[in-house]
Amino acid sequence: MQDDDILDMLSVEEAADRFGRGPLSAAPYHDPDWWEREREAVFLRSWIHIGHVCEVPEPGSFVRREIEFARASLLIMRGRDGQVRAFHNACRHRGSRLVDEMSGRRSKLSCRYHMWTYGSDGALLSAPDFERFEVPREGCALKPVATEVVAGMIFVNFAHEPEQTAREFFGPIAAAMERLPVARATCFTEWTYEIGANWKTNFDNFQENYHLRFIHPRTGEQALGPENPFGYPTHYGFLGPHRGQKLWKNPDPPPVAGSLKLGYARVGELARREGLDFPKTDFKLFPCFHMVGLPPYQNYTHTMYPLGPDRTRGQVRMYWTAPPEDAAAAFTREFAAVTIRDVLSEDREAVEASQQGMAVIDHIHFQDHEVLLRHLYLEVEKRVRVHVATRTLAEAAA
Amino acid sequence: MSALPKGFAALEPFVGVWNAPDLAARAVLRDDSSEAGRLAFHAAMQPLVVPALDRLDGKQLDALDVAERRLFELLLAYPHVAMAVEVQGDAEAKHAASRRHMRITPPA
Ligand code: FES
Ligand SMILES: [Fe+2]
Repeated sequence: MQDDDILDMLSVEEAADRFGRGPLSAAPYHDPDWWEREREAVFLRSWIHIGHVCEVPEPGSFVRREIEFARASLLIMRGRDGQVRAFHNACRHRGSRLVDEMSGRRSKLSCRYHMWTYGSDGALLSAPDFERFEVPREGCALKPVATEVVAGMIFVNFAHEPEQTAREFFGPIAAAMERLPVARATCFTEWTYEIGANWKTNFDNFQENYHLRFIHPRTGEQALGPENPFGYPTHYGFLGPHRGQKLWKNPDPPPVAGSLKLGYARVGELARREGLDFPKTDFKLFPCFHMVGLPPYQNYTHTMYPLGPDRTRGQVRMYWTAPPEDAAAAFTREFAAVTIRDVLSEDREAVEASQQGMAVIDHIHFQDHEVLLRHLYLEVEKRVRVHVATRTLAEAAA
Repeated sequence: MSALPKGFAALEPFVGVWNAPDLAARAVLRDDSSEAGRLAFHAAMQPLVVPALDRLDGKQLDALDVAERRLFELLLAYPHVAMAVEVQGDAEAKHAASRRHMRITPPA
């Protein structure tokens, strides 16, 4: 299945007709109060990508993740039963942080403070002098967070009872992701960055091509041509809160810089050898997750974790189905990583600058080819409004 | 014993300069390099990329001997230098400053 079959693909005019035109308040991009509502309405109740099963390969393997927007430290652990779970990294006795290491492998987790000891499934196994507590042992398991694996990736949802499973939430996009290298990855190349920008300011940058010719004059020239000087996509696609685009294919691209061709020379052969077969993929998944498949060989995710109203941590991972078998595989992957990192660092610089004036401009303006940005804005706003209305009702009833 | 496999003597001056064990370390080599250093390595390595790939072809990475491993590391430094020389050009110095924010996670 291609993106086209999954997303409702619209021309730019159709998309603008559906989602509107005109200015919008800039407050959601910088206002601390808005961010607090967004945190509750969006981030504490959406499925968030936080890892991959290859990071917890064996029973007892765990990674620790600090999730700032939830003010939580999480342990993601594979149990003896093979299942991957996420727990708060907090002892149920009196809240002590349980694990300091960022990753490791243990059959049991013991709290340093009074030696409460938990199994790899989070159950409390033993606690010294436990008879003196008036609480059943079952009530003392590590506090779980809803966890689901889709296409090899681990997603968590901080809602007590998520409204949908992750698979329901992604709909047919889940099956499309299952076809990508990420679904059977055993390793990845990763880089992370911090940026002084709202998560939407940052995410938006990857939802429009309007900036290409200005920000990527060297790395982006393949995507531009005389009949499409901005390299605009031909279609914009939508599925519930998720979206994507169909890129324009340059019929007459400028020649690729000499050596870059070497980087691509063996991709077909490597993809065949590793049994890869996937279509071009570009999903922008709600709220902050970008999935890109560049056939025949590259597949990367870009996740943006908000740290506050004007600060975000980005994480980029290029997923591989096996460690590089030989020099050709290693060389091709190195080229891919260097190329994408170069492009994304140009974006980081531009985005950070674009955050600086958000608080003074009152309104932001989206043109028709920025309809994906508008769609994200509206999806976030809708959730914040419902959340605020529900809370106000609850308060009135109380 | 030569530092590199036979046929790659032209790369001898770059051994110990452009060798690094992983992606993160090679990115740092690029960041810290001078333009003259990049141009010299680029010019020497470019015609030897395909021969190096052929020379190492079919070998498991953990079976490379010391000389082959050096050649392999030089080969992997090439994409970094090619991006700097062929794509970024005179924007490389400025680009290096923004690139430093993209922190590559070292291998486990
Ligand atoms: S806080 Fe962990 S055992 Fe007391
Ligand atoms: Fe960009």
